[in-house]
Amino acid sequence: MTIFLSTLMVGLRLGSIYALIALGYTMVYGIIRMINFAHGDFIMVGGYTLVFTMPVMTEKLGLPAWTGVVFAIIVCAIVGVLVELLAYRPVRKKGTGMSALITAIAMSLILENLAQAIPAIGPNPKIPQVIFPASSLTLAGITIDTTTIYTIVVAGAMMVLLTLLVKKTSFGRAMRAVSENKKAAVLMGVSVDRTILLTFAIGASLAAVAALMYIAQYPLVFTTIGSSLGLKAFVAAVLGGIGSLPGAMLGGLIIGMAESFTVSYISSAMADTFVYLILIIVLLIRPVGILGKNVREKV
Amino acid sequence: MKRMIALLLALIMMCGIAGAFAEDTVKIGIIVPFTGTMSLYGECMFKGATMAVDEINANGGLLGKQVELIKYDNQNDETESRNGFNWLIKQDVELIIGPLSSGTTKAIVDMANDEEVVLLTCTATNDALDEEDNFVFRCCYKDSFQGTIGAAFCYLNGYKKVGAIYCAADTYSKGLYDSFAAGCEKYGIEIVETASTASFDSMDVTNQFTAMIEKGAELVYTPYYYNTIGPLVVPQARSAGYTGVILGADGFDGVPDYVVPGADLDIYNNVYWNNHFDPNADSEIVRSFVSRYQALYNNETPNALSVLPYDAVYMFATAINNAGAADAESVREAMSDTSAVYELVTGTFTLNEDGSPNKGATMFEFYHDTENDRVDFRAISVINELPEVK
Repeated sequence: MTIFLSTLMVGLRLGSIYALIALGYTMVYGIIRMINFAHGDFIMVGGYTLVFTMPVMTEKLGLPAWTGVVFAIIVCAIVGVLVELLAYRPVRKKGTGMSALITAIAMSLILENLAQAIPAIGPNPKIPQVIFPASSLTLAGITIDTTTIYTIVVAGAMMVLLTLLVKKTSFGRAMRAVSENKKAAVLMGVSVDRTILLTFAIGASLAAVAALMYIAQYPLVFTTIGSSLGLKAFVAAVLGGIGSLPGAMLGGLIIGMAESFTVSYISSAMADTFVYLILIIVLLIRPVGILGKNVREKV
Repeated sequence: MKRMIALLLALIMMCGIAGAFAEDTVKIGIIVPFTGTMSLYGECMFKGATMAVDEINANGGLLGKQVELIKYDNQNDETESRNGFNWLIKQDVELIIGPLSSGTTKAIVDMANDEEVVLLTCTATNDALDEEDNFVFRCCYKDSFQGTIGAAFCYLNGYKKVGAIYCAADTYSKGLYDSFAAGCEKYGIEIVETASTASFDSMDVTNQFTAMIEKGAELVYTPYYYNTIGPLVVPQARSAGYTGVILGADGFDGVPDYVVPGADLDIYNNVYWNNHFDPNADSEIVRSFVSRYQALYNNETPNALSVLPYDAVYMFATAINNAGAADAESVREAMSDTSAVYELVTGTFTLNEDGSPNKGATMFEFYHDTENDRVDFRAISVINELPEVK
């Protein structure tokens, strides 16, 4: 029972982080039908911003370390907007879906290499400071550290906020309109370019929050931190149904749980294998993902 | 045109003469990373080797010749190591030290045997490297010895039920686990649980440690590097509620620089590991080496990575003096002599038939230095020979 509960908590905290990142993939895909492979690297950007700003917050301003996330959100949003403005938009206006995809892969590599070229970052991994003071709760015989609880709560809160934003605000309406039909949205007076830019900014901000929660749990920041994390989150988005916000959350949680339970009950070396196996099986049964919409292509 | 050819020929001849002059030095090549993720290690290695070469030259060189150290930056990359090897051969180098990792060393082992150049690695611990060896030697112990040392530590300290967590996909981690498991069998220690991680670099081992607690492991063997042990493995183990011993190998060197600032440093107590060298060892040769090293390099304390290349240069020196010649064939012959004794900083030893040294390991523990509020390490025992089973 102890093992089961502890496995559940590990699965939940991994799943919450995957879900936060998957939301970024799914939002961008929903609006421009492009997979933003550089999204994983936004986590790296957020991680390094936190490494450099948190000491300032605690030592100079006497604030808690996590307040550095404000800067991480700003920097990530700027990087997200710049990536869209400088790379994706010009390519999208000129080329095909394939060239946009290749641009995304290129952006991912460029961000990783640029980071390494910055002297303050360099080749060695960085260790961020303690973000949430260590303490734990004992519940039903197992100890849960508070960072795990914060991760789950923050991820839940971000999802609620994002849903409200999409469902209740005029920007959310514009987003949904652009996602459904770009031309019609223009006719209704929606600025498509601006909506896409804002979507990138929001997606990247979510990556900054994910970075905070991830390095609070796993305090090691390196330039390729986003590649395997981004890949798992992308799988989560596809599994849940890419383009669907609840799908991304569900997909993230399923992937996190699958990983954690495989380690505890099947084989600890095979965790990643099972994650991808689940993806293949689900896609065979439901090609659009669990909550994906079946949209028929009009000829 | 004829004049041109004559000029060219004259030039070539001059180069030849210059080459003949250059023969008056003993050339030692060193292939280590000066750039890339392992650059800090490469710098340490070069410092140690340079210090040894300068000392030898100040004392009149080898066989009356000065020693010349020629470096090549391999970026810890296999292809670059091959390029470096070829480049050094073109410089008439017949004795090479390096590379850093087992993978990059493996890349040039066959080339060294084919080209008949002596390769002396001081940090590659993988077992397979010197098995079919002619020209390959090492001055560090092998993984099979390191893993067995771990098992011997359990045996000597009375741990009966142990567990292990390793990365099956990594050569270093898997090699150490295999020899640890074999050692445990030899010493009658029960491995109650074995778990693995999919990645060597980033991981969550909370579930693995929860299973260890459930199975009652008193000690868990975790062959990983400092970059995951410091920030990930030890904190996760302790927060999963595991209070027992965590045991590792030479990859733990460097953990104090990789602890999380602001974390509870008591969690690093009860963590043990073996290494090649103890800078605080109570021996004249070590004390003298450390003080000379510190005088030379800004009071920096030498680590295993700087002392092993230092020793490697002196191994070459001993072999050259024994052989009375500095060409690859004579040096190889001298180093193949299993009765030749090397009195070096990392110990006094002979080489076995494989070309690996017979030497012991020092066991270390981490502790919370409360005065300076940091994690430090100290030697707790030296295992010179593997204990016999009673």
